[in-house]
Parts: sequence; C-alpha cells; structure tokens
Amino acid sequence: MYKIAATVSKELLLLSRDRTGLLVLFVMPALLVFVMTLVQENVLKTMGESTTRILFIDHDQGEVGQTIEKKLLESGGIEIIKQIDGREVDEKEALNRVLNGDFQLCVIIPEGTTAALKTRARQAAAESLDLAERPAENAVRPGDISVYFDPTVFGGFRSAVLGSLEMVIVGIELDEKMNALSHLLPRYIDRVLRKSLGPMLPDAVLNDTPGMRLDFGRDRLLKVAERPASPENALQKPTSVQQNVPAWALFGIFFIAIPMAGALIKERHDETLARLLTLPVSFLSVMMGKIIAYVLVCLGQFGLILLIGKYVLPLWGTPKLDMGSDPAAVVVIMFSAILAATGFGILLGTTARTYEQASMVGPIAIVIAAALGGIMVPVYAMPAIMRNISIYSPLEWGHDAFLDVFVRGGNIRTVSGDVIALLSFFVAAVLISGMVFFVKRRNGI
Amino acid sequence: MQAHIIQSPDSLIENYAPAGENVLVVRNLVKIYKGASLPALSGLNFTVPAGEIFGLLGPNGAGKTTAISIMSTLLRPTGGSVNVCGIDVTQHPGRVKGLIGLVPQNIALYAGLTARENLRFFGKICGLRGKALDERVQACLELAGLENRADQRVTHYSGGMKRRANLAAGMIHQPRLLFLDEPTVGIDAQSRNMILEKLFLLKNTGTTLIYTTHYMDEAAQLCDRIAIMDEGHIVAEGSLQELLNRPPGYAGLGDLFLALTGKDLRD
Repeated sequence: MYKIAATVSKELLLLSRDRTGLLVLFVMPALLVFVMTLVQENVLKTMGESTTRILFIDHDQGEVGQTIEKKLLESGGIEIIKQIDGREVDEKEALNRVLNGDFQLCVIIPEGTTAALKTRARQAAAESLDLAERPAENAVRPGDISVYFDPTVFGGFRSAVLGSLEMVIVGIELDEKMNALSHLLPRYIDRVLRKSLGPMLPDAVLNDTPGMRLDFGRDRLLKVAERPASPENALQKPTSVQQNVPAWALFGIFFIAIPMAGALIKERHDETLARLLTLPVSFLSVMMGKIIAYVLVCLGQFGLILLIGKYVLPLWGTPKLDMGSDPAAVVVIMFSAILAATGFGILLGTTARTYEQASMVGPIAIVIAAALGGIMVPVYAMPAIMRNISIYSPLEWGHDAFLDVFVRGGNIRTVSGDVIALLSFFVAAVLISGMVFFVKRRNGI
Repeated sequence: MQAHIIQSPDSLIENYAPAGENVLVVRNLVKIYKGASLPALSGLNFTVPAGEIFGLLGPNGAGKTTAISIMSTLLRPTGGSVNVCGIDVTQHPGRVKGLIGLVPQNIALYAGLTARENLRFFGKICGLRGKALDERVQACLELAGLENRADQRVTHYSGGMKRRANLAAGMIHQPRLLFLDEPTVGIDAQSRNMILEKLFLLKNTGTTLIYTTHYMDEAAQLCDRIAIMDEGHIVAEGSLQELLNRPPGYAGLGDLFLALTGKDLRD
C-alpha cells in the first residue's frame, strides 16, 4: 500500500506540473461543455424543445388575435412578444428581426380578420341551410394569418407550430360557425315547419325553439395523452444540459488516455520503467498507483463539469443540471466510465511505439467513439447502420447510462448492462495491455 | 560523502557481501530473440566477486545490453543461468530485485520532478521510509554533488547533473550489485571525473559494479577486470594487465579491442 501511495503521489505531482496535460484534462472539457451546451440550447430553441419567442403582430385587435394569443400561451413553452423597447413593431421590422434570428417566428394577423371571419361564418352557415340569397356574389374572404419562420428553424418544429395554429383557427371558426348557426336555425326550422304545416302552425312555436349551448363543439370525445415511458418517472424532457454535461464529461474523461499513454511511453523510452522493474516493487503496484492517480484526476474533472452544469451554465440561461434520483447509480457509472478510460490509456500506452503515435491515434479514436456514442449527435438521429455500430462505443455505454438516470428515471438496476460493459472494457484493455507488454518484454522491445 | 554511505541503516548495510564471495555468476547464457537469425547471447560465462568493478566492453550489437537486461531481471534468457548472491535470477526475480540496482543508459528519472522528489519516490518504492529515507536521499544527493540543486527540476539540469542524478537514483537502496550501462555517455570531463570518483567510493564500501562503456580509457582506469564481448560471448577476459599482455602484446585496451572485434563498422 505504501508503494502504491508513493506512485499515486508521484503521478499527481507530475500531472500538476504538466500545464498542457492540465489544459487537456480540465480546461478543454470545461470549455466544451460550456460552449456546446449553450450552442445546443440555441439549437433546441429552433427545434421547439426550449422556450420559443414569438413576435406577435395583431393589426386586427379583435377576438381572433386574443384567442390565438391565449391558446398559444396555454400550450406552454411560448413567450409572446408584442412590443420591442416599449413600442409597436411594424411588419418590415418584424421580418428583419426574424431573419436575424432574434425570434423563431412571427405571427401577423391582418386588420379586419375578426369581422371578416364573423361575416364569412354567417354566410357559410346560411349557405349550409340554404338560406343565402346570392352566396357566390356576397362571399367574404378574410385575409390570411401569416407566419414567418427564422430560416434556421427545423422542419419538425415548423410543422408543429403551423399545426397548432391551424387547430386554434379551426376552433375559432367552429365557434363562429356554431354562433351563426344558432342564430339561423330558428329561421330555418320556422321555414321548414311553415312549409310543411302551412297556416296550421301557431306563432308560439317559434318562441319555444330550444336555445343551443354553443361550446359543445369544443367538448373532446377522444383525447391523446402523453405518458412517461418509465413508470418511475414523471414526464420529463431532456435538456441541453442533461445531454451535454455527461456527454462532454465522458469525452474529457476519455482524454485522460492521452497523458496516461504519454506517461507510459515516456517511462518506457527513458528507461524509468526498466529501473522500476528492477526495484523491489511489483508491476501490479506500479500500475495500481497509476490507475488510482488517474481515477482521482478524472473524479476532479467530472466534479468540475458537474459543478459547471449545476451552477455556472444556469447563469447563462440554461436549465440547471438534474441528475435524477439515484446518486449511487451516478457514482457507479462515473467510476465504471473512468476505469474504462484508464484502461484505454493503458492499452494506448502499451501498444503505441511513440508518443506521437499515441497522441494521433488516441484523440482520433476518442472522437470517433464519441461521435458513434451520441456525444455530438443523439444516437436515435443516426442512420440504422451507425446505430448498430454505436453499441460498440464505450462512450455510448457511459452516455446511455447517464441519460438513463438523468432523464429516464433509471436506477442502478437499469444501468447495470452499460456498467458491466464499461467494466468489461477496462478488464479487457488491461488484459490485452498485459499480454502486449509481456510479449514485448520477452522480445526485448 | 563516503561517510554517509557507511552511516546508512543497518538493514541496508546487510546488502553488502563479504569480499571474495561471488556476487554474480553467469553460466552458458543464451538469448535468441523471436525472429532473429543469430542469437544475441551465445554461451556467456563469467563470475564477479564482491566489491569488484567488472567492465563489459563490446561493439554495438555484441550483447551487452541483453546481458544486463537478463542479469537485472528485465529479460528471461533462452538458456543458461544467472545467480546473484546465490539466488537464481530466473527462478526468484523478486528476491534478486532487493539486491540489485540499475543505472540505465538513458536518464531514467522523472524530468518534471526535482532530484530530491525523484530520489524520495524511488526510495519509497524500495520500502524506505521516515528518517532512513531522508538520510538516504541526502546521502545520495551529496554523493552526486547535487545537494545545492536538489530542489530544482531535473528537466532544468545540465547533461552532467542529469547523469549524476541518474547514478544517485540507482544507489538509493544501497544495492549489493549495481549495473551501470554507459553512465558517462555524452557528459563533460568534470562530471565524468566526478562519477568515476564516486564509483570508486562505492566499490570501497563493498558494492559490486558491472560497468559497460565504449570509453576504453574509462574502463582501463576504473575496472578491476574487463570482459570484451562480441557476437554474444566473451572473446577476452582478465585484468587490464592480463589483457594487454596477451600475445603479441598491446599498447592499450583500444588496440586489443579492435584486434579482437575488428575494424568493420557495427551499426
């Protein structure tokens, strides 16, 4: 234990003096998580996963605008802006603001929309009851409600917004048509009855015509309910913080492989390793000391990134990092991922002949594993062939396990598969490294 | 400086063998690397008694480094045996490690650490702790003439200082048998002279030294006995005088060396 502690202390001292190593281990992942979260927060806005700012210009100032505004606000996640710097915005400025990306979209309601809608509803109702005198000539057509999108807004979000607006407008139209119908219906019934009964129909009958409850059309007979896939968790949407903090923390953790491999190669080249191997200490103790030192560094790295997610990013308007309800699972995943990363470092340091080789192959391998592992683009957004390959990426195992706990309400049991995979990777990497090392030693390489 | 070595803890002084006892016995040592057409070692034989400085000379590729690697437990031989203080190196490498030290040809130190930190680390790895560790670190720093620069990082040292620190690290645990692989290569005359003086001091305390070098004058000045190796085995062995007296007689070790190993380049 004393010799292991000596190795741990030596490694930490060396790392603390390696400015480049510290940049790679702490500053790079901290910057990555910061920048990528903020960037993706903006992307999520364009996808509608975050609060959407709608510039709302109502030239009509009637019931239609009020109802659309009310319904959009009720749908949640929407902020309606009607004035900028305390003044009304004209159409030209509104379009410029949307083009500049200040707003994801702009809704413009033309003047006279409410009046035209009411007139058209009455005409439509009259036409349907065959009460209109000259329908084709008198038809009124309200102006279109215009929606302008920021060109960067994703198609799915555009469809969702347009769909919602259509639903709101259909509801408004339905109300107006029902209203018009309720006014025309007594005339229609009177006409039909008089036609059938003629003079036998007493005048009192019209007064007895029952009134209609106009909002019955809005009563929903069938509903679509969104329910959580995980029974243990309430409905929760992934945030850019929950996606990025574990993602880039894992990315940073795996970059420990570069300085670790570098240290191993340097020890081999300058014969420090040869000196150590001739001293009364087991190779296992030396390696254990190294692994513990790098695990401690990774813990510090991970802690730093979690703190950024929890306390720093919210200062820039992102949601606060929510780490789920099973801290033990988070700790287990973290240790497993760190061990997998150190295993990769040992493998890289053992198999690479030079530091240049390790510093080229290592980062490329990590970036590929990260891309496959959903660190940059979610796995579900990849083509099928890439999804099939992604299951072999240790970063995917770690990221999936973290998302399981952070977003899906998972626990230690649900992440056990990913944890076992990460630990198996560590064991396999160390075993292969051991074999390579002893073969090289036997051949005096 | 010598006084510090003598004042070392009793447990470490035990490492020194009585004069005359064979500390190193190499018998029919053979090493054939996988895929190699020729053996690196082909029946190497020699014995080194306690307190002797034994020089191992040879051109590049003669097998010196392979021999040192096997003797210092780094490499397993294809055949033959190596005994250190009566312990078989192949059978019991763990027991042998407590008795040997290695000063590799490269500067086998952590450049990011100071000389004191390096020595403390290697001392701890050898099981030294507390006052014994402090004393050994100080003794080795003084031996290497680095006591005034002990807290400077090795990366800022001159070539000579690095070589001396490299030597100090090999002696931190007071090994009974110390392997030195070209410990003076590429340094100034002053540092080289100092290292040779310190090696004499070490010899006087009973440490046995196996010394490889390409500097013939150094070997002639330092070694009690010299073995010239070529193609994996010893072609001549004896004291400097015995070697020079070999017929037809040689003016210097360099002449003998070239006569035995030839003038062809060995790259």
